[in-house]
Amino acid sequence: MAAPLVIELKHISKRFENIQALDAVDFDLRQGEIHALVGENGAGKSTLMRILAGIYTGYEGDYLLNGKPVQLQSPREALSRGIGMIHQELSVMPELSVAENVFLGRQLTTPFGLLDWRKMNRIAQEELAKIGFDHINVRDPLGNYSLGTQQVVEVLRAILSGAQVLIMDEPTTALSPPEVERLMQLINVLRQSNRSIIYISHFLDEVMYVSDRITVLRDGRKVTTLDKKETNMDEVISFILGREINAKLPEATHQTDDHTLLEVRDLTADVFSHVNLKVEQGEVVGLYGAIGAGHFDLARAIFGMYRFDSGTIKVDGKPFPKDFSARYAIKNGLAYATESRRKSLFMEEAIYRNVMMPHLQRLGRVFLPQPSFELEKARPQIALTGVHPSDPLNPVGQLSGGNQQKVAIARWLPFPPKVFMMAEPTRGMDVGAKNEVLTILRNFRNEGYGVLVISSEPETVLTVADRIVVMSHGNVVAELENKNIDKDVLMRLL
Amino acid sequence: MTIQTSPRSDAPAAPARVRGLPRWVTTLAPVWTLVALFIFFGIASPSFLRPLNINNILVQVSTLAIFGTGMTFVLLTGEIDLGISSTAAISGMFAAYLFATLELQEPIPLFAGLLVGTLLGLFSGIICTRFRIPTFMGTLAISFIGSGLTTYVSKGRTLTTLPDYARFLGSGRIFTDEAGKGGFPFIVIVAAICLFIAYVVLRYTRFGRYVYMTGASKSAARLAGVNTNTILVAVLTISGFTAGLAGIVGMGRLGSAQPDPVPSYLLDTISAVVLGGTALTGGRGGILQTVIGLLIYGTLRNGLDNIPGIDIYLKEFITGLVLVVALVVNVVFSGRAARDKTV
Repeated sequence: MAAPLVIELKHISKRFENIQALDAVDFDLRQGEIHALVGENGAGKSTLMRILAGIYTGYEGDYLLNGKPVQLQSPREALSRGIGMIHQELSVMPELSVAENVFLGRQLTTPFGLLDWRKMNRIAQEELAKIGFDHINVRDPLGNYSLGTQQVVEVLRAILSGAQVLIMDEPTTALSPPEVERLMQLINVLRQSNRSIIYISHFLDEVMYVSDRITVLRDGRKVTTLDKKETNMDEVISFILGREINAKLPEATHQTDDHTLLEVRDLTADVFSHVNLKVEQGEVVGLYGAIGAGHFDLARAIFGMYRFDSGTIKVDGKPFPKDFSARYAIKNGLAYATESRRKSLFMEEAIYRNVMMPHLQRLGRVFLPQPSFELEKARPQIALTGVHPSDPLNPVGQLSGGNQQKVAIARWLPFPPKVFMMAEPTRGMDVGAKNEVLTILRNFRNEGYGVLVISSEPETVLTVADRIVVMSHGNVVAELENKNIDKDVLMRLL
Repeated sequence: MTIQTSPRSDAPAAPARVRGLPRWVTTLAPVWTLVALFIFFGIASPSFLRPLNINNILVQVSTLAIFGTGMTFVLLTGEIDLGISSTAAISGMFAAYLFATLELQEPIPLFAGLLVGTLLGLFSGIICTRFRIPTFMGTLAISFIGSGLTTYVSKGRTLTTLPDYARFLGSGRIFTDEAGKGGFPFIVIVAAICLFIAYVVLRYTRFGRYVYMTGASKSAARLAGVNTNTILVAVLTISGFTAGLAGIVGMGRLGSAQPDPVPSYLLDTISAVVLGGTALTGGRGGILQTVIGLLIYGTLRNGLDNIPGIDIYLKEFITGLVLVVALVVNVVFSGRAARDKTV
């Protein structure tokens, strides 16, 4: 017989301003089950989970917890009823010790009301050992440990707070492959202890590996709930996209015509050394490395946002001066979309303002033209990248992650750059949005830009790049033509 | 539970709004606060709505308006300038000193005073950006330097021989009749000019946009090629200049250069700007908001003076209460009580 239902959501609807985020969605969770939630960006996964976790309070529909209807008013109340959420972006305090993080918000005290560090350290150490992390010293600052470990600590914190249900929102995006492996083990341990997990991920191989059931959302509606044993990845993808899958990307029509657009020579800073790198016209170069390999900082350095000690950068034959600014880089044909959309976009500002922001220096020395001029200049770029909904007056913060990424690309197009650098172009995106973004990058190449894709996801560089440069611990360790290379080749090079 | 329905707005960045209220009610909350105060004092006090008293309110807020012009720039970037009252003091005192003691010709003392204020602002901007000192601390240090210099230059004495230009700026009148009576106070015009220039700069120039964007997200502004340090230096320099001007104008209004800063200038200015709806966290607000905030503040202060029979020892207390209410109303009605509770 099936295990009892812990959570039941019935006909949940939720509306933001002019967007129907959820439309009569049903969802349920059994005890001791891993229930995956998949769907494209903007399908409503995060909204549904935020309702579950008490973050959103205004919605229509019924929420049953252990068979009884509830109205959660806050994440705190949700946690007190046994529902904990592990966010996509971690909410740990890197400066506090591991034990402090584990007991954050509910510290243990001695009979005198003082903090009982000895007890907290001991319990934290024991609990970590139970789930196989006994190498961690709970007195160390959590920031000393990898992102994967920080995530484990966050999970542990939720469990010790009494969470029977854990919501994991894209837990693996920032993790290295061995860390993902360990997280999967942890999830299995949790399942055996009869806890239930809602697992949101774009990595369908993980979903197929770890989950018991899979619910697919599309456009705010529930498409179906599948039993993992009775389905396969292709079927899941076709449900996500709502059509038969066509996994092939546009054919590579690329030819390198030996016109170097970006040339980095002997670039050295604290986290990378003597890096040589070239991007030719009409070429996509993938810069691949594990997190912490220095490739993200290298990209920042090329854009004038990270101080380097020696070496030269040339764009289209023009040498950049030392200590040049981002503004100089933009003026001379560089574009850079960072791995963090939250840091690079103005979330509360309208789309068109975000799009025009890097180009104001070209619009007027002192006075800016009429807003309508900016609007008309931005509109085609918004259309070109397929931002949805496309109203340029919408604030960027209301868009889904994938659409924010499209804005992050669109903003470099009003005045086309020579070299387009993009870090993690598809992080946290679903299959459909991923393909769209990668297609845009390919089109850039065909139009004669140089494209540099910086990523820690092997799939990303393998799909999009013509040439792959592998970095490890601050050094370039390999340079490969992207022909017949497999994921494992890249991983072995790290 | 009902679904929240609100008319589709064409304004960018409209945050979550109070359920059911149309936009013109919510975004204009500070204006309604001002109207409410006006109606209240108009009924409660027989003298409040007289032209002479309205005139008074304008004169009373003019000095704050000049301070507030610069402060608006600083707050929009998400920073703060705690040095303005000291900067005002040294600018005024320096101008008076050059005129009275060194007997320099007009308008040299005036410009020298303004220059001192501007330089102090520039200096605080440079140390805050160059050494990454939070403006809260950097400008606090500047405030000590400013008040220290004032004490040093004045040797603790009040100067009453003032440059005529400063006197005219602070207490001169234009459009007077033949007997030199009536007319319009020039200080209001000075304030209006400051506010107008700032309005144009913030609304129509590239620099103005950069100020907003720096406040909205410093990292995003940097990634878009904005040198946020330059912006920060610029806004603190502007604030130094306006503080210097306010100091000289204020001195002209009072008729003397005091050896100590007027500490209340600082908090009055910040309160007025924030009351109008400019966010302390930056990126939101503007000169129109500052104008409304100034008028709310001026109305409140003046109105309480005009109600007969109010215990003057309670005035400060009542001001505080009304400020709390006004701030709460502003927050609630402009929908800043955010939906997302993690923020």
